[in-house]
Amino acid sequence: MILRSLECRFLTIALCDAAEPWQLGSQDAATPMMQGIIDLHHDIFFFLILILVFVSRMLVRALWHFNEQTNPIPQRIVHGTTIEIIRTIFPSVIPLFIAIPSFALLYSMDGVLVDPAITIKAIGHQWRASTQPYEYSDYNSSDEQSLTFDSYTIPEDDPELGQSRLLEVDNRVVVPAKTHLRMIVTPADVPHSWAVPSSGVKCDAVPGRSNLTSISVQREGVYYGQCSEICGTNHAFTPIVVEAVTLKDYADWVSNQLILQTN
Amino acid sequence: MSTTAHKVATQAAARTAKTTGKRPPSVLREIVYGMSLGLFAGYLWKLHHWNNQRRTREFYSLLDQGKITVVADEPPSGAGD
Repeated sequence: MILRSLECRFLTIALCDAAEPWQLGSQDAATPMMQGIIDLHHDIFFFLILILVFVSRMLVRALWHFNEQTNPIPQRIVHGTTIEIIRTIFPSVIPLFIAIPSFALLYSMDGVLVDPAITIKAIGHQWRASTQPYEYSDYNSSDEQSLTFDSYTIPEDDPELGQSRLLEVDNRVVVPAKTHLRMIVTPADVPHSWAVPSSGVKCDAVPGRSNLTSISVQREGVYYGQCSEICGTNHAFTPIVVEAVTLKDYADWVSNQLILQTN
Repeated sequence: MSTTAHKVATQAAARTAKTTGKRPPSVLREIVYGMSLGLFAGYLWKLHHWNNQRRTREFYSLLDQGKITVVADEPPSGAGD
């Protein structure tokens, strides 16, 4: 309603795409996958609330009735077949209602229905000032080298005004918005994990293995993540920054990068 | 297993409850009240979820129409120097 009332104005919306202090919920979804994850969480939370309120009320009321003045004679119930059947079947139905949307999301995340337009390889490294080199193997410079670049974290004592502490990098992963991407994640040394919460992505980098995940970022923006598998001393200082731009800006960026690489 | 004394005491308590107008505690009634309260609380959560979904749909709809943007304008060159 707020958005509709302001639609006559040209409005810039700022969303939560990075970790916030005292944050309670998820970051805002930037991909259909993350939106599905949030929706599944909401579906499961309905049952959590139902059970929490029901059980809490039964506990409180049991304590309430346990009063010598108001109820001097306790009931002597030792068993009740009907209630035992109900209290066995009803809780076993709840996981069924949880499993249906859960499996639907899980299998939809695995299925790749559209051929990805771009393939990006993220190679995890340790002990080199927290680098996460990226490789765009779809593009080659004039000397047949793929577009590659390192992505170093901005040191804590060296940020510019407006930059997030320990979350910024010098070279962001630039991707086009509303485009299907294929991410190949692999490490050069120890296990890492390439995670971007607002995109709903957490892909482990396992030595000797290349893991694949698909993303389709639905809006332009800058999305922050961090390494999510303990990889040594600088594990906490390995941020990931994905910048989604328009297709035109992406093409310009690729051209510039290839020129820089050739030179 | 309830003894005769217990049965007599329980019937006496029921008669007292009838005369005083106070109903004795009932497991079935408590279960029904608890489930109703739980379902109502779950319904409130669902309202929050549907509201979130509607706002998300509105946001992307306005974004696609170009009425809002998530791209900040670049500051004019020389500003802040």
